[in-house]
Amino acid sequence: MLREKYAHEVEAILAKYPVKRSAILPLLYLVQQEYGYCAEEGIREVAEITGVSPTEVREVVGFYSLFYDHPIGRHRIQICDDLPCALRGADELVAHAVRRLGVQPGETTPDGRFTLETVMCIGACHRAPAMQVDLEFVENVTPEVFDRIVGDLSRDGM
Amino acid sequence: MTGTVRVIINDRPIEVPAGTLVVDAAKRLGVDIPVFCYHPKLEPAGMCRMCLVEIGMIKMDPQTRQPMRDEEGRPVIQWMPRLQTACTTRVAEGMVVRTNTLQVQEAQRAILEFLLTSHPLDCPICDKGGECPLQNLTMRYGPGESRFDYADKMHQEKRVPLGDLILLDRERCILCGRCIRFQEEIADDPVLGFSDRGRGMEIITFSDPPFASYFSGNTTDICPVGALTTTDFRFRARPWEMTPIPSICPHCPVGCNITLDVRPSARKGGWDILRVMPRQHEAVNEIWICDKGRFVHHFATAEDRLRQPLIRRNGELTPVSWEDVLEVVAEALSRAGPQAAGLVGDRLPNEDLYLFRRLFGEALGSSWISMDPPIFGGEWVARYGVGTGTDFGQMRPGSLIVVMAGDLEEEAPVWFLRVRGAVRRGARLIVAGGKPQKAERYADLILRYRFGTEALVLVGALQVLLDENRVAPEVLPRLDGLEALRKALEGYPLDFIGQRTGVPVEQIRAFARAIAEAGEVVLIFGREGVVDGEAFVGMAANVLALTGHVGRPNNGLLPLWPHANTQGALDFIGARPLPEEVPVLYVVGADPVGDGRPMPRAGFLIVQDLFLTETARMADVVLPAQSWAERDGTFTSAERRVQRFYKAIPAVGEARGDWEIFIAIALRLGQRWRYLSPEAVMDEIARTDPRYAGMDYGALAWTQPQWPPVGTSRDLYFGGTARPNTAGLGRVRPSEAETPEARWPLAWKAPEIPSEESILAIPTRRLYQEGTLIARTPHLRGRTVPWAARMHPETARRLGLEAGQMAVVRVNGQTLRLPALVDPSVPSQVILLPASLTARAGVVEALPVKFRVEVGNGALPR
Repeated sequence: MLREKYAHEVEAILAKYPVKRSAILPLLYLVQQEYGYCAEEGIREVAEITGVSPTEVREVVGFYSLFYDHPIGRHRIQICDDLPCALRGADELVAHAVRRLGVQPGETTPDGRFTLETVMCIGACHRAPAMQVDLEFVENVTPEVFDRIVGDLSRDGM
Repeated sequence: MTGTVRVIINDRPIEVPAGTLVVDAAKRLGVDIPVFCYHPKLEPAGMCRMCLVEIGMIKMDPQTRQPMRDEEGRPVIQWMPRLQTACTTRVAEGMVVRTNTLQVQEAQRAILEFLLTSHPLDCPICDKGGECPLQNLTMRYGPGESRFDYADKMHQEKRVPLGDLILLDRERCILCGRCIRFQEEIADDPVLGFSDRGRGMEIITFSDPPFASYFSGNTTDICPVGALTTTDFRFRARPWEMTPIPSICPHCPVGCNITLDVRPSARKGGWDILRVMPRQHEAVNEIWICDKGRFVHHFATAEDRLRQPLIRRNGELTPVSWEDVLEVVAEALSRAGPQAAGLVGDRLPNEDLYLFRRLFGEALGSSWISMDPPIFGGEWVARYGVGTGTDFGQMRPGSLIVVMAGDLEEEAPVWFLRVRGAVRRGARLIVAGGKPQKAERYADLILRYRFGTEALVLVGALQVLLDENRVAPEVLPRLDGLEALRKALEGYPLDFIGQRTGVPVEQIRAFARAIAEAGEVVLIFGREGVVDGEAFVGMAANVLALTGHVGRPNNGLLPLWPHANTQGALDFIGARPLPEEVPVLYVVGADPVGDGRPMPRAGFLIVQDLFLTETARMADVVLPAQSWAERDGTFTSAERRVQRFYKAIPAVGEARGDWEIFIAIALRLGQRWRYLSPEAVMDEIARTDPRYAGMDYGALAWTQPQWPPVGTSRDLYFGGTARPNTAGLGRVRPSEAETPEARWPLAWKAPEIPSEESILAIPTRRLYQEGTLIARTPHLRGRTVPWAARMHPETARRLGLEAGQMAVVRVNGQTLRLPALVDPSVPSQVILLPASLTARAGVVEALPVKFRVEVGNGALPR
């Protein structure tokens, strides 16, 4: 699948490393791009491409929190509720998010568009409260900022 | 790292090899440093922190290079600021270790308290309870009480299947990673891993099928808690209820030392075998066994075992008393006298084989006995088999292991592990075969020849050895037949050999040179694809004898025999053709009809077995025999190590030992045999057969301490790993080449080579091949390899076959019928058949012959 659909990308990734094993991380991003999460089929294909056992590739998926081993929404909103963010209103922000999206942390909206999660420190304490939307950081988040971002993402048609 | 270093542990000095881990150095002094993740057979991981100790170095005066001393003249020690892990720290000259200080004890208590915060403490229902390192170490080093609230424990899934054989209890797991490291480092099936982090961390398998490994059961032994258990043993018994009876694995020629853990059982209405555990023998199986050895024991206590003698009355096999049946058998045999014939399986113990020979030779005057299946190469193994003292564990740089014409992992799994270990320690490996196998991963050289040309590859190697004058000078005076061999080889130019075998001439050269240049060579050979067994084994013997690689330890031939006592059957019975028709045929422990091998037509057929086999169904009289678990006996492994096994359970039904039955018949035939036990038989063998000289039961029970010390009473941390060997290490019967004055003859037989157009039927052995014994272990049902004719799609097309179709295969006049299975990984122009089936061809088990295939509707042509 990957090798047919992303032949060029796979080639380019493999060319970057002296050993194929090193290509596991970027290939897994490719899997996630294709399936929306690290699907079993994709894991097995990465194992085949890199010559590593499927179990070892699965270990990598399990180790990093940015790889998902189960289907999630198209956009993933992670709100930090660690101490500095909590002191700057993270709990209220989470409560707002729950109301706005209609799902609890850990759940995905019925239309499959958003997954809401609370996470430990993401390293943006100086502009707390912070959240990560997909691969972007958003800092000094207020309910208004949150609604605007969610609104934009709801309209993007993706 | 060479030489030794001196260290001081708890004020006691010891000298150990450089590179030794602190934990092992302490063990040599009898000092236990508690561990969980560390295991002496695995690379250190430093994960559990249980082995923390104080480590310091004697301070040296930079000027005088002498130890600095305090006012009282004692050396000054520079202690490291924090505790160190003894399992990852290697000794150094002048190192000082303290394992019993208050600081260390405090750390041990803390680690145990920490580990137990997540542990369910369900010891009363845990399989490991009673032989659990976590229990043992908690009792010895633990805090006794926890500061954490029991009700606050985090609970996890308790029954996560890792495949059909192994279950994971997530909340018992302490994440030491021993199982993961075993699978990577020892088995090389990296099918277990860690997923997630922190409290969510867990053991996973992602192979297909899950936990795909022939060695998975070993992870339950080395698991230091009850996290990994087998589906076979789970919740069946507590360790202290069982009696461990020393035994030898009955399945393959390695001769792994095992124990049968037995207990009275209401379910079985008597005694039952609850589990099979490895028993330590560092020169045979170390502390490992394969899953076939561990799980295929249910046949011994199976419901459908024969429980009483049967006799044919009005066409039906009906129960009869031993007294009556023995009369009938003795009378039939006595009438046939020298015309009586016997066929005996190579799973029978030595004592029984010896008595079977005596029964025919002395009581009947008949020489018509043969082993079944017949085997080639026995005489060369007797002469040039691996030397006494051979041990893969001692093979290192300079050693060479050659695997030829057999699949090492499928046919002798534990040798596979040990060969891999030798390669990790620096030994070289050459794998030569007609199809790929797992051992090739570690091979320095892979020779891929056309099936059927095995002997020719070796002729090529001989050609190179003679061309390049690589005959070892010191062996020249001992060799017989060198000139004849040189002359015979003239007809085989290397180019011709390269062309016929499909192996580049340069590879044949490299192969020959590697053998000539290696300090030690063990050549492991099977029968896969071998057309001309005499020539093949003879040429292999030549190669080793010419280069001086026979008659000493870690040198010689090592056969992949099919069963546990094939060597004994070769020693006591041998293979010879029987007449096509005999008045009385006595078949013992063999099922030639079911396996499809030819059997003489008999006026009267006596069958002695565990089950009502296909052969037994045809019999006039059926005698129920005991399994190896019900009696004492010995097997001779392919290394020619004679090893004892002990009676573990009472006889099933009225079954009798084969030896007992032979005695009862001999007595009725007027013999005056006075053996009361197999021991008495072995005593006689040890007195009268020079090959088994001195191997009485006392000698075979001799042991010496094994290193590492595993499972002994003074050992707290490898509990449950393997049983210590207290019942005997066996004795190796020497090869003939070891005798100082022995001549070393060379063989010549022009190898029979199949034409290039022919399609060959290749007997292949698979560990889980469908069969009588494995069928009684339900846990392996999902892994059993069904009977099939496997072939390349191209071959199938040539034969006009489609996958799944029944192929009626005629081999040497015999007719086989089995489903065709198309598999692109099979080389073209061959059909792979189960090893026992191909012998249906009417030649010895591993001799495939030209045959033709007819597409049929499944009906057997007459």
